[in-house]
Parts: sequence; C-alpha cells; structure tokens
Amino acid sequence: MAIIEEVKNPVLEVHSLTVVYNKQPAIWNVDFTLPKGQIIGIMGPNGSGKSTLLKAIMGVVDANIGYVKVFDQEIEEVRRKVSYVPQRQSVDWDFPAQVKDVVAMGRFATRGILSRLNAEDKEIVQESLKKVGMEAFANRQIAQLSGGQQQRVFIARALAQRAELYLMDEPFAGVDASTEESIIELLNEMRNHGKTLIVVHHDLYTASDYFDWVVLLNTRLVASGPVAKVFTPEILAEAYGSRLTTLSKVADLLAERRFPMRHK
Amino acid sequence: MNLPFKELLEFFTFSEPNVQVVFWGVLVLSSVSALVGCFTYLRKRSLIGDVIAHSVLPGIALAFLLSREKDPFQLLIGAGITGWLSVYLVDFITHHSKIKNDTAIALILSVFFGAGVLLLTHIQHTGLASQSGLDSFIFGKAAAMRPQEVKLFLIIGIIVTIATIVFLRGFYVMAFDEDFAIAIGFPVPWLRVILSIITVLIVASGVQAVGVVLMSALLITPAAAARFWTNKLKFLIWIAVCFGAVSGVLGAAISYSYNGMPTGPWIVIVLSLLAFFSALFAPQKGIYARWSHNRFNSRKILCENILKRFFHLEQHHPEKRDYSLVEILSKLNLKEAELKSGLRLLVRNDKLTRTGMNWTLEEVGRTEAREIVRKHRLWELYLSKYLNIKEDHVHDDAEGIEHVITPEILKELEVLLKHPETDPHNREIPY
Repeated sequence: MAIIEEVKNPVLEVHSLTVVYNKQPAIWNVDFTLPKGQIIGIMGPNGSGKSTLLKAIMGVVDANIGYVKVFDQEIEEVRRKVSYVPQRQSVDWDFPAQVKDVVAMGRFATRGILSRLNAEDKEIVQESLKKVGMEAFANRQIAQLSGGQQQRVFIARALAQRAELYLMDEPFAGVDASTEESIIELLNEMRNHGKTLIVVHHDLYTASDYFDWVVLLNTRLVASGPVAKVFTPEILAEAYGSRLTTLSKVADLLAERRFPMRHK
Repeated sequence: MNLPFKELLEFFTFSEPNVQVVFWGVLVLSSVSALVGCFTYLRKRSLIGDVIAHSVLPGIALAFLLSREKDPFQLLIGAGITGWLSVYLVDFITHHSKIKNDTAIALILSVFFGAGVLLLTHIQHTGLASQSGLDSFIFGKAAAMRPQEVKLFLIIGIIVTIATIVFLRGFYVMAFDEDFAIAIGFPVPWLRVILSIITVLIVASGVQAVGVVLMSALLITPAAAARFWTNKLKFLIWIAVCFGAVSGVLGAAISYSYNGMPTGPWIVIVLSLLAFFSALFAPQKGIYARWSHNRFNSRKILCENILKRFFHLEQHHPEKRDYSLVEILSKLNLKEAELKSGLRLLVRNDKLTRTGMNWTLEEVGRTEAREIVRKHRLWELYLSKYLNIKEDHVHDDAEGIEHVITPEILKELEVLLKHPETDPHNREIPY
C-alpha cells in the first residue's frame, strides 16, 4: 500500500509536477506536501529525478506541467527564504576565488547584484565558515580544497544566506566520514532552530538515522511520509526494484516518436 | 638588424597626429577586449569570440551594400546584427538539436564567414569606389584607423567597461555556479544577454583593427595568460587588461616603425609572447617554478639520503669519524657524480666537512641524520600498527615518506605511538 502523507500548512507543495528533458520525462506527475521544521530526505535510485526535483523547485529548470509553492507562494516571491546547495561536482573548483569569496556569494542573495557587502555581511561570512569548521581556510584558494572541504564551503555559503528552507543536493556524496558526521550534526542543529532541510541522499543505511521524513522517488512519486512509515521492505522494493515497465515503455515512446506530454 | 629608434620615438611622442589616433584606438580595443574576455574565458566559452569575429563579416558587407558608404557606425550596426545572430544560433542549435556545442560553433562560423567572403567578392565586382579597404577586415587595418572610427571605439569601450563593472558580481557568480545564481534570484537570462551584447560590441569593433582571424586572440589570450599569475578575480582582470593594453600599443608601435608591417598580427604576436612568458615563468603555475620545485625536492632527498648513510656508517664503524667516497657510496643507490654533488651541497651547508678525500659528519648534520632515521622508523611502526602492513613490507614506503614528513607530523607520530623505543625490525629509534 502506498504511503503519501499530506500535511497542513506545508513548507513546500509540489503539484502534478512534470519535467521533461529531451522529450523524456525526468519526473512524472509528482504530487506531495512537506512539513515545516524537519530534515527531509529525497531518495531513490540513480536517474530517478532527485536533482531535477530540487532544480524544478528552485526554478533552475522549468516545470513543463504543474507547479511548486514554497511557503504557499511562488518561488520568485520567497527566494530570500530559500537556499539551494547544488552538487559539489557541478562547478569547476579551479576557479579564481578564495573560500571566503564563495561563502560571500551567499550574502548576494540578500544584497542583490549591485550593493556592496558591509561589515555585517563579512561577519556572517566568518560565522558561517566557523559553523562548518573552515574558519582557518578563509583565504585558501578553492582549487586546493579536498572534496569534504568543498562540501563544507558550499554549506557555509548556504548558511550565509540565513534562509528558512534549505535544499541540498547530495551533500554527503564523496565526503569522508568525519565530514558527514559534522554535517549531519549541523543539520540537526538547524532543524532545532526551526529550519526545514530537504536533502538528496543515497545511502539507505543511514537514512533512517538522518531523516524525520522521506520522499521516495523513481521518476514517479513512490512514497512520502515519516521515515518509520515509509521504510518498509515493500515500499523500498517498489522504489529501488524494477521500474514500472509499462511506464518506462511509454516514456521511451514519447521520446522516440516525439509526442508531447499534453496537448491543447 | 637596427632598431628604428627614430620611428619608435615618433610613435611614442605622438609627433604625427595620425599616430595618436591609432594609439588610442588600439589601446581601447585591446584592453577592453581583454576585460570582456576574462568572462568568456571563465565561462569556458572561449570559442564564442571566434564565432562572433567571423560572423560580423557578412554584416559589414551588407551594411556597406545598403548604405553605399564606409560609415563606421553603420558598419558596426551591420556587424553587431550578424554577430549577435551567430551567438543566438549557436545557443539555439545546442539546446534544440542533437548537434553539440563545438559542432554548432564550427557550422555557424564557417557559414557566416563564407557568406561574408561571397558578399565582399560581390562588392569588389560592383566596382564601388569607396569599397577599397573593405576586405582588410579579414586581417585588420589598425594603422589606417580614422579619427571618426576611433571616436566610436572610445564610446563603445566606455559603454562596455561600465556595463562590465556594473554587472561584475552577476557575471562572476554566473561563471562559477550558474544554478546558484538563478537560485539566489540573479536575472541570469538577462546577464547572459548583456554579456553577449558587450562581447559582440567589442568583437565587432576589434575586428576593424586586427581583423576577423585574429580577434579571438585579443579576447581570450590576455585572460588565459593572466590566469597563470593569480588566483583572484580582481587581479586576473587587471593583469589581463594590462597584457591587452601593452600588446596593443607595442604591436602598433612595431608596425608603425617597420614600414609595411601589419598591426593585427604584431599585436597577437606580442600577446602570445606574453602568454608564453607567463606559462614559463609565472610563480607556482609556471613551468620554471615547477621545475625548480622539483629540483628542490630531489636535492632534499639526495642530501637526506646521504646524511642517513653517515648515520649508519657511524653506527657500524664507531671507531672512525671520516669516511671515503667508496664507503659512502656502498649501499647508496646513487651514481658517483650525484653523490659528489650532494656532498658538495652538504659541505656548503656546514653539515659535513671535507678533509682530503674523506668526509666527516658535523653536529648539525648528525642531528638532522638522526631526525631522518627517526622519521623513517616511526613511519615503519605507524604502517605496521595502523595499516596492518607486515614488517618486511614497510621499508620501501618509509624510504619515500621520510622526506615528506614535517616537524608537526613528526611530533604527531611521536605522541600517537607514545615515543616508542624500537621500530618493527627491533632497531632503536634515535631521539
């Protein structure tokens, strides 16, 4: 039996969301709501649309069908309250910037494209670096960082935004155990301060320790609910087991014959 | 070959009014191109300058055919339109077809350039009086710049510079992490358009000085050369602009002084020399810096291995203090010449003294030798304790690692292993 729990006053509402890449749906008619003040895991096998979901929520990719509401508003209205941490590998770290420059980008969310950063901003940058244990690296070239340090810098940049909702794409991918531990500690602390954290994650073993709520995705929505309810063998098998063969056949047909998903 | 001092002096003192025109025109074009090029370079879109440069040619020819005169402003509008169209088409093809970006660039570049050459040939056949010089767009004609053209370039240079400074933060975040720029609400589609427009503007202007073929060098080479010298965006921009300005002015000076020398190619040659120099001699990233770093390392390894040999010699032959070349060389995997150069270095640093054909360890050298042996044996112990490596497998690893271990790590090892007395082979660890 599928578990898709709806919540009242959701922090995030995803409604009939469909995103198509090259005529092939990456997420198909996904519909769920998420509660405030929790750590929420987005999980599913490779290519199940987890990153696409985050990007669609942030408006980085356009939704073909459906919509997303954050704090009951369009994302454009509430960007200052939402922070996005892309996958670490999505950027070229051999870029002329120091650690503090990258973290300062978080303050641009508030200051915009034109106005200068002031002393308060610089303090926030320092504080954010301290929270991830990177204050000693403020002047380090980002090209010299290890994978775990890169991830910490990205999280510090998000912290510097002082947001309410955080969307993180694979923050634990390719980081060492101690970094993973300190990141999850930090996430817990943020949750205890009333922040909501949506985290794309891979590892099923740690998931029930890390998350209060889990969304299981496999192009379509498989389940959304408190981790204890969702993590049953049947539901996990449905998410990670074979794809729905008919659904993927239809998806292939859409791409092959170049049919539109909807027509007027 | 004699340097044409008289002509060079003439150039830099602006004694001819025409020189002043060329000077300012080239200076503005080459430095502003370098400024804009920093961002095309950082966005990894280095080839887009080449596309634009080749694609302005049909625009210039069409503008001429329509207006029947060589008004620089009208030519620029024509150039801007086809230049812009080429950027748009490359993006459109990349996003809406199976053709990849590099293929789209090759296609658009050659189609537009081909059309441009056709139109220019047509203009030549029509025998329009004022067409003379229009084909110089292919290789540029900086030395023949006219005041009204330079005025236009100055205005464009100022507009482009102001736009770059105003949107610097946007371009910067977009170049590093475009998704994040969108997520924090930067108007990324607009920033892309603005960056394209200023690139098209500066390329369309620059083409008139250095020509279609060489324009992309003016855009990208300064940034690429500057990247060797710095890891900071601000410095990158300043260095690139200086490289651009210097090569522009020097190129113009050379072509003025040697009669008949073309300006565009000289600018690019000076620029390339600067880039070559940067690749060779920039600190840290330059080839020389890496070479001397490697030399420093191999010298360190050589000296430390010789000192270690003295430690063993003193242990095995405590009765004597000075040793011959043969004694030192035995058990050392070195050529005699290498050993000699190492010994010379050590004598120069007062770690050894030489008497005749024998060498003696000095106290400084002895302390260092003991430290190296300590590093070696502690590392062996660490490997066997923490990595569960068998005693007969730890030696080779320690031979390499002993030279890398810093005093801090040495201390860490001592504390971690609780100041052990012996290594895994039951040999004493010297403190």
